[in-house]
Amino acid sequence: MKMRKSLQEIMQELKIDNKIKENIVHWHTVEEKLAKTVPLPEGIHPSLKAALQQRGISELYTHQRTAYEFASKNQGFVAVTPTASGKTLCYNLPVIQRIIEDPNSRALYMFPTKALAQDQKSEINELIQEAGLDINSYTYDGDTPANIRQKVRKAGQVVITNPDMLHSAILPHHTKWVSLFENLRFVIIDELHIYRGVFGSHVANVIRRLRRICRYYGSDPVFICTSATIANPLELAEMLTEKEMMLIDNNGAPSGRKHFLFYNPPIINKPLNIRKSATLETRWLAGQFLKNRIQTIVFARSRVRVEILLTYLQELVKNQLGPKAIRGYRGGYLPLERRTIEKGLRSGEIYGVISTNALELGVDIGRLQVCIMNGYPGTIASAWQQAGRAGRRHGESVVIMVASSSPLDQYIIQHPDYFFSQSPETARINPDNLIIMVDHIKCAAYELPFKKGETFGISETEEILEYLTEERILHHHGEKWHWMNDAFPAHNISLRSASQENVVIIDQSDIANVNVIGEMDTFSAMTLLHEEAIYLHQGTQYQVEKLDWEEKKAFVREVDVDYFTDANLAVSLTVLEEDRHRELKATEVGYGDVSVRAMATIFKKIKFETHENIGSGPISLPEEELHTSSAWISINQDSSALSQQRIEEGLIGAAQALRHIVSLFVMCDPADVHVVPQVKAAHNEKPTIFFYDRYPGGIGLSEKIYASLENILLQAKQMVANCPCSSGCPSCIGTETASETAKKDAAILLALFLKNPDGV
Amino acid sequence: MSLKNKLNRLKPHISGGKPLASINQNNMGDQIPFIEKWNEENVFPYFFDNTYCLVREVEYSLSDRHGNYQFADFKEAVEQWNKERFFSHPLSAAGHNADDLFFFDTETTGLGGGTGNTIFLLGHASFQGEKLIVKQHFLPHPGAEVALYQSFLENVNYTTLVTYNGKAFDWPQVKTRHTLVREHVPKLPLFGHFDLYHAARRMWKHKLERIKLNAVEKEVLGYERKDDIPGYLAPMIYFDFVERKEPEGILGVMEHNEQDILSLITLYTHLTRQLLGTDPDISAKESFEVGRWFSYIGETDKAKETFSSLSESETEESQAAKLALALEYKRRKEWEKAAELWKAVADGDGKCGQSLLEACIELAKVEEHKRKNTELALVYTERALGLLESLEPGRKRDRLLGECQKRKGRLIKKTFPGQAHISSI
Repeated sequence: MKMRKSLQEIMQELKIDNKIKENIVHWHTVEEKLAKTVPLPEGIHPSLKAALQQRGISELYTHQRTAYEFASKNQGFVAVTPTASGKTLCYNLPVIQRIIEDPNSRALYMFPTKALAQDQKSEINELIQEAGLDINSYTYDGDTPANIRQKVRKAGQVVITNPDMLHSAILPHHTKWVSLFENLRFVIIDELHIYRGVFGSHVANVIRRLRRICRYYGSDPVFICTSATIANPLELAEMLTEKEMMLIDNNGAPSGRKHFLFYNPPIINKPLNIRKSATLETRWLAGQFLKNRIQTIVFARSRVRVEILLTYLQELVKNQLGPKAIRGYRGGYLPLERRTIEKGLRSGEIYGVISTNALELGVDIGRLQVCIMNGYPGTIASAWQQAGRAGRRHGESVVIMVASSSPLDQYIIQHPDYFFSQSPETARINPDNLIIMVDHIKCAAYELPFKKGETFGISETEEILEYLTEERILHHHGEKWHWMNDAFPAHNISLRSASQENVVIIDQSDIANVNVIGEMDTFSAMTLLHEEAIYLHQGTQYQVEKLDWEEKKAFVREVDVDYFTDANLAVSLTVLEEDRHRELKATEVGYGDVSVRAMATIFKKIKFETHENIGSGPISLPEEELHTSSAWISINQDSSALSQQRIEEGLIGAAQALRHIVSLFVMCDPADVHVVPQVKAAHNEKPTIFFYDRYPGGIGLSEKIYASLENILLQAKQMVANCPCSSGCPSCIGTETASETAKKDAAILLALFLKNPDGV
Repeated sequence: MSLKNKLNRLKPHISGGKPLASINQNNMGDQIPFIEKWNEENVFPYFFDNTYCLVREVEYSLSDRHGNYQFADFKEAVEQWNKERFFSHPLSAAGHNADDLFFFDTETTGLGGGTGNTIFLLGHASFQGEKLIVKQHFLPHPGAEVALYQSFLENVNYTTLVTYNGKAFDWPQVKTRHTLVREHVPKLPLFGHFDLYHAARRMWKHKLERIKLNAVEKEVLGYERKDDIPGYLAPMIYFDFVERKEPEGILGVMEHNEQDILSLITLYTHLTRQLLGTDPDISAKESFEVGRWFSYIGETDKAKETFSSLSESETEESQAAKLALALEYKRRKEWEKAAELWKAVADGDGKCGQSLLEACIELAKVEEHKRKNTELALVYTERALGLLESLEPGRKRDRLLGECQKRKGRLIKKTFPGQAHISSI
């Protein structure tokens, strides 16, 4: 009988096998860390103390104690804590203690998802029960039954919810929550780092509305935030809450020994610098652990990758009966399905899970031994979050990052120092994005009339209120602006994305039993749910038979094919207004408002395993339009003496390189900024590269790019120059251009942008 | 770019709240605009808190009609509840005078609940001796809510609200808006509440597609409106008024609101007559619903009374009434009486398969468990199975089928103990 290998044995094999050894370009070991503890605070209520001791907690970690002290002095704070460091006690302890002291006190917990809220409810309720206390804590979300909602509103001392619910169900009905708002002492914001970009900018405005209503009812709650490691937790917390906060980063929790491996797939074609597919390598690596039933989580960057890897890996358990022990997990699965998977992971019944970043968040799935990332997840913070899924307090764990051939991945994997020594990304929000703020000023006016001179957060309001009055949404009377419209504004405003409607995915494989299997935002649907697309769900392939764009429904049927589909998006762009402008030696740089039109054009069928193109077809969907802010750079004089053709290819290549570098330097999700080259831009007829924010009105990313464009260009130029390929590869300028000169031309153009007309 | 230019550019991305058609601005001066016109229509200002609201008052005499009834009939209806001392019914006015009831309806700037949905008209009617007084409090601009609620709450001294869907909508919305001015105006009194919408649903959902008050008026109360402004236009008319101050449109909304309130009186009168058996024109279907309602609230005797007279009638409902009556006996464990009714249905020439099915199943149960007549029980079970097999598959049908098959198996075992295994093959 074959013996199962242990984690250590597999690692030893990785270390000594010559073929594999070469691919591991960096082996970083984080040594075991011992706990730093301090005694429980003096004044803590005896029954709470007893409950803690019953759970084996007779001392606190240093950061938990600091948190308790700040909170009891009504000092808001943000605690930066790695996964599994007992962060929940940072808020549960002071909150419960306060409610014991004054049962009228209320606390509002905000988690980014319903799933996390459910988790936390069980956690706090266990503590309350063990302490034998009479404290009402409830979740309030879309799943809360109507008959207990009233009880939650009136008597919930701890109300656990999510920002969407706060935005559309609690704040607009604040008169039903008088006892909460009059007595609100604490607002808990967990997973603070999630609130960045568009979502964060929305949530910052929801918090402005929350604080405005609290002021109306005479309360001024203390904000307690917890965050994963980012570069600017304090700044983000203060921007989000517009209150002065303290930083807690004296983490005292222990952690086991952890190995962090950088794995670069071998080059299989030297001149083209083509590496073996990261997905195939991930599959092999994951297989080594899963074969031996070592609990492993695999992170993939997209839903499609999740499904592809799942198809591969489920082969390992195909002969097993009953529910599969290797499962997929991502947005688009229905909640019940997700809950089952989470439970299976905790109990160990499921020992393999392939996930998108959906599992980065603190959903409780227990602690796994191995984490494999199929590609760099885009940000350092996110990489550490994912790595945190592996590792127990005691014992060893291993994290393997498998680089894809994208320039960003190659940059990271070749610069391990950058990864390990660089402080992680800055989370950016722009609460004053006009579109976002105006939306929330409308909601705020619905909630309470605005008074003359009233600010919204730190922003002036008068001009916006006047605009809304002209639009006949508000009515100005005396010193006040009143809501004067029959709409319910919060219903039309989604915090999560620009597109408000989702496409529902309907499985009609069994005509008698048509089933909704998931949903997807409209923008993704353009490229993932077009007709004939292969949509993967839990490893099952479905073909889209009909996409009803008007009704936002995609009808799919189960199929069994050996390919997946990949769609192209054509983008056209016009400058509407130039707000800022500066001239460099050979180029001009601009910043302003643009209109972007995007249209899905064609799709390709790509064979599994070999990844060869085996067919294509048109997509006929309407164009989507976006008004946003953009930064751009144009070549002023034609000093490069390149032909039109070569300029075009050079631009495409340069744009490709910039696209990857930009997210590193602006610290955002790679999907948040788009880069588009134009040989002859409509506004100045010059060869131009545009960078634009993906969100209407912009969230401040393009502005940042405008300011630091030179640095970004320099990094891109170096990246192209350092790439070992001869004439362009997926790791530098991409492969959209086939010509021999493309790489050289891209370098020339990048140099030209950097006001050095003589080229490389 | 200026902020406003930018806002105009981004307009397509800014969601929620459609702009209204453009209308000339008209600033509010110290004077009340169009005051003569208001006065002509019996509308007078009520001043409070440095501002005002407008109040309209209309009087009716008891002999005035609204639909099929005079207002005097309402007083009679209240007396009838008192005479019967019928306290348990949710619509019972026993213990009340006619003057204690308060008919109430609002007009708002939007649909659904939510803090920003402003009530701009609070209308109510009540009897004062030999008169019916309709009073409406109107919000002339959104800054005058303190005056509006002061005016409304000053003389509200009643025990019971009568509304149409007021439990779900009007009254919670009053509470919401009141919360915003609660420091400046009297508290909201506690009321009993008759929500006639739920009553109307019970009684007429079989014949009305949507139980809107308008439909009930037309189909049940014999009242048809002339030149009525549809309720859904009220917000638009109000937004226009706030801009222009011209009373014309609002007077139309007030008229609409008044009709709604008057219909509540007629509706209550009519419901009382149907419930207390004094409506000679009540249909069999309506009687049946009355019986079901009594049964639902545990008024078994009244339910039985209603079902008995209906079961003896020559109507389509007599079968249904027999079954309902049988159910009442079953609840009281009066098996023989119940069985007699089920048998009447089972042996009758009923065309309705559902009633027949129910009767057969119930008879099978009685024969098996009470009368211990296994053979007869088997006969009824077989009959029920036959009926079930001809039905379309569905959750209820499948469940019943399963139960009947189980019963059949059990009965066969009891009847022919030695052959049990044969039937199970």
